[in-house]
Amino acid sequence: MMSSGRRRVAALAIAVAGVTAIAACSSSASSSGGSTASAITVPGGLGTVPTAATGTEHAGTITWAEPPGAVPNFIFPVLTSASNSVYNSQSFEWEMWRPLYWTQNGVTPEVVPSMSLADLPVYSNGDKTVTITMKSAYKWSDGQPVTSKDLLFDLDLIKAGLKESPSNWPAYVPGHFPDDLVSASTPDSSTLVLNLSGPVNPGWFTDDILSYAGPTNPLPAHAWAKASVNGPILDFTNPANAKKIYDFLIAQNKSVSTYATNPLWQVVDGPYKLTAFNATTGAFTMKPNTTYGGPHAAKMSNFQGVPFTSDSAEFNAVKSGSIDAGYIPQNDVPQIAEIKRLGYNVFGEPPSGMYFVNYNFKDATGHFNAIANQLYFRQAMAHLEDQQGYIKAFFNGAGDPSYGPIPAYPVSPYLPANAATNPYPFSVSDAVSLLKAHGWTVTPGGTDTCTSAGSGASQCGAGVPAGTKLSFNLIYSTAPAIIGQQVTDLASKAKQAGINITLSGSNFNYMIANYIDPAAPANVNKWAMEDFGGESENPYATTFGLFNTGGSTQIGDYSNPTADSLINASIASGDPAAVKAEASFLTTNQPVIFQPTPDYIWAWKTTISGTPASFENLTQYYATPEFWYLTK
Amino acid sequence: VVVIGVSIAIFILLHAIYPSPARDVLGLRASLAQINAWNKQNGYDDPVIVQYVRYVNHLVHGNLGYSYPENQTVLALLQERVARSAYLSGISLLFAVMIAIPLGVYQAVRRNTIGDNVVTSVAFVTYSMPVFFLGLILIQVLALQFPIFGFEASQSTSLPTVVGDWHDMTLPIVTLTLITVASFSRYMRSSAMDVLAQDYIKVARAKGLPERLVLLRHLLRNACLPMITLIGLSIPLLLSGNLITEALFNYQGLGLLFFNSLGKADYQVMLAYTLMGAVFVVIGNFVADIALTVADPRIRLA
Repeated sequence: MMSSGRRRVAALAIAVAGVTAIAACSSSASSSGGSTASAITVPGGLGTVPTAATGTEHAGTITWAEPPGAVPNFIFPVLTSASNSVYNSQSFEWEMWRPLYWTQNGVTPEVVPSMSLADLPVYSNGDKTVTITMKSAYKWSDGQPVTSKDLLFDLDLIKAGLKESPSNWPAYVPGHFPDDLVSASTPDSSTLVLNLSGPVNPGWFTDDILSYAGPTNPLPAHAWAKASVNGPILDFTNPANAKKIYDFLIAQNKSVSTYATNPLWQVVDGPYKLTAFNATTGAFTMKPNTTYGGPHAAKMSNFQGVPFTSDSAEFNAVKSGSIDAGYIPQNDVPQIAEIKRLGYNVFGEPPSGMYFVNYNFKDATGHFNAIANQLYFRQAMAHLEDQQGYIKAFFNGAGDPSYGPIPAYPVSPYLPANAATNPYPFSVSDAVSLLKAHGWTVTPGGTDTCTSAGSGASQCGAGVPAGTKLSFNLIYSTAPAIIGQQVTDLASKAKQAGINITLSGSNFNYMIANYIDPAAPANVNKWAMEDFGGESENPYATTFGLFNTGGSTQIGDYSNPTADSLINASIASGDPAAVKAEASFLTTNQPVIFQPTPDYIWAWKTTISGTPASFENLTQYYATPEFWYLTK
Repeated sequence: VVVIGVSIAIFILLHAIYPSPARDVLGLRASLAQINAWNKQNGYDDPVIVQYVRYVNHLVHGNLGYSYPENQTVLALLQERVARSAYLSGISLLFAVMIAIPLGVYQAVRRNTIGDNVVTSVAFVTYSMPVFFLGLILIQVLALQFPIFGFEASQSTSLPTVVGDWHDMTLPIVTLTLITVASFSRYMRSSAMDVLAQDYIKVARAKGLPERLVLLRHLLRNACLPMITLIGLSIPLLLSGNLITEALFNYQGLGLLFFNSLGKADYQVMLAYTLMGAVFVVIGNFVADIALTVADPRIRLA
């Protein structure tokens, strides 16, 4: 969903990654009298990110803004589909329990080895066996080592949860992990071996299954593997016990008001421990975990999440200087200069994800299904989208274009060349030419008509009879306003090309419940196009599920054999470039109209410093305050 | 009967719009298998009548349901917020009444004077001003430009602390009070003018009763009758809180809880909130009727 963003890469990736690594390694260094030397420019970014200030590091309490309606309410790190949000995971749970592999390096979605709990996995046996070796540096806050058994414990809890309901693990797709897990063993305390029934693409399995989408993270078996508060530690490898443990932990998790006091949740391996949690507001305070084994600032500060009920309330807090790190709402972009004057650094970048307008490939109304199946039509529609105009007019200039399933910015390592620049630049005349070249009589300002039916190269295409009018509906979500603004402009430009789009507003919840073909088959003829925003993206940006035929999260039933083959390669072949090939094809094939992505802009006080990546992370919905320190 | 009728209507309407909240709860990425499993697990695959009977059964046992998006029981969610909302709405209503009644009487007695015109102009401006705008102005001037008050309401969940936090609670209370005063004072002015034209006022004056007593004994009591109805109808506000004020001043209350539940298709919260609203409306009307009979013997006799 558009509000639960995710992440991707940068052209300056090497430079940024280098700075991050250096900063992470030298974070304990400290000298006096330093200052911020320079700033980093990130491709596609709004503003710059200062390099880490040298000099004495101070500790204190750093407050961080929680966006409205996005406060944490789930602490058990085995998230369910219902609780799966970046606000529960990336900026809350992951402060206390780290995912196995950390996959956000500033704005770049890539594994950060220094922040990962294990060495990179080794794939063997035709990519059917995965060997994971835990690092020895990480310990639980009660002094126990983080072992491969703890990782196995997590897997067994996931399996126990899935036995109760497939909605108990958000990454679950029937037939895939953990259904394809034949066996899992821990030959020693640092090694976990997974034997899968079929090959997996290492990039996909590492980035999405072992790191992000699940996520998979070690859990303290020595403290949590029990079925009651004072019960004995159970053998969690016994499925019956695993179920009891899962049920017990889920029940404990439902007691939101005890999150900060329940001894269970105090056993952590991440950089922070929860010390206060307000069940009403979602406000929380964390203190540094002194046993944390990962990279961090020499003097870590307390981390305080401050909830807000509206963007206005949050922005007032920024303007009053009462919050150390807060976001700048899209409407307030013109006030960035003022915010800087008040003593804040400001940086923005689009969160990795896709914003798009869906086609309904099953809508038979006016033969739209046949029309949508024509590549030339989808190309013409892409030509009618004025992305730069949208960014300037509707995003206050704070956004970046996106031409395919992998957005142009933040630059991803998987970004194909044809998605870096617009393959279908805005041009009404190009759209008109495409339609004319395929058998349509174009009536600018009116409605185009198919006058050359047939499936020849210069005809309307299979299933489009003569006399068919190019007229259909588009349902859009009325919030946020930029969705309506963009589709209104699209409809206006389309009219210039004789395409008659009837717009109607709806709301996000209604749309996703009623205008998704597989879930609401009774409504397939009620919508031709829809725009509810978009979807977040996993670090390894395959569209598996969304664009493969019969995919579990299909919306408009797009189906293309080439796409199916490429998507399958992205998840099951050993080809590291498979996902790039997939994105390249989909950029050309335009299964949806890809839209620009607005920046997520953050401001933080100039008295806070740290690794540049730790501030870039904010734009990707990650909070890594362990790298922050006060300069005075 | 009203409450039962409301519960049936809301239940049917909700299910007509959203047969199941599964997609909203589980998210766009949830597969059909996950959605079906969730529906089964939570009883959303049963016929609507079965779901309603189950809901009512839970209701009579004090179980208002479970909010999946908030991961808490609905009862807990309401309990956490009801006192905060009631305080903000109640204190604002009290201040508004205390200001609006004398203001309305003053305007009626001094009608068409400069004072009346000034108050009328201010009331019109305030009345026509959106709450959001008024709040923003107050924050900008009295919290950011001249930091006399806090830019947000008290963040404490302890009612005594909230009540004692004048620094942070002043602006939200003032915002709500001003808006309410603007409307109440107009009603009061109109009502007082009607009463002033009554014969018994003329008789009282003719008898040589001091003006102060005329106003207090004869005018005020009678002019307040419409206000009693108005205040009674405002009682549901104690529940609903004031969504916009809560959102603007970062105040977690019931209004905001309900608003967020709409965005998250949080069935149980929506149902509970609407039912409570119905109960409060009934109570408000009842209290107003009782108050009217106390204030006006003619009604009591009837």
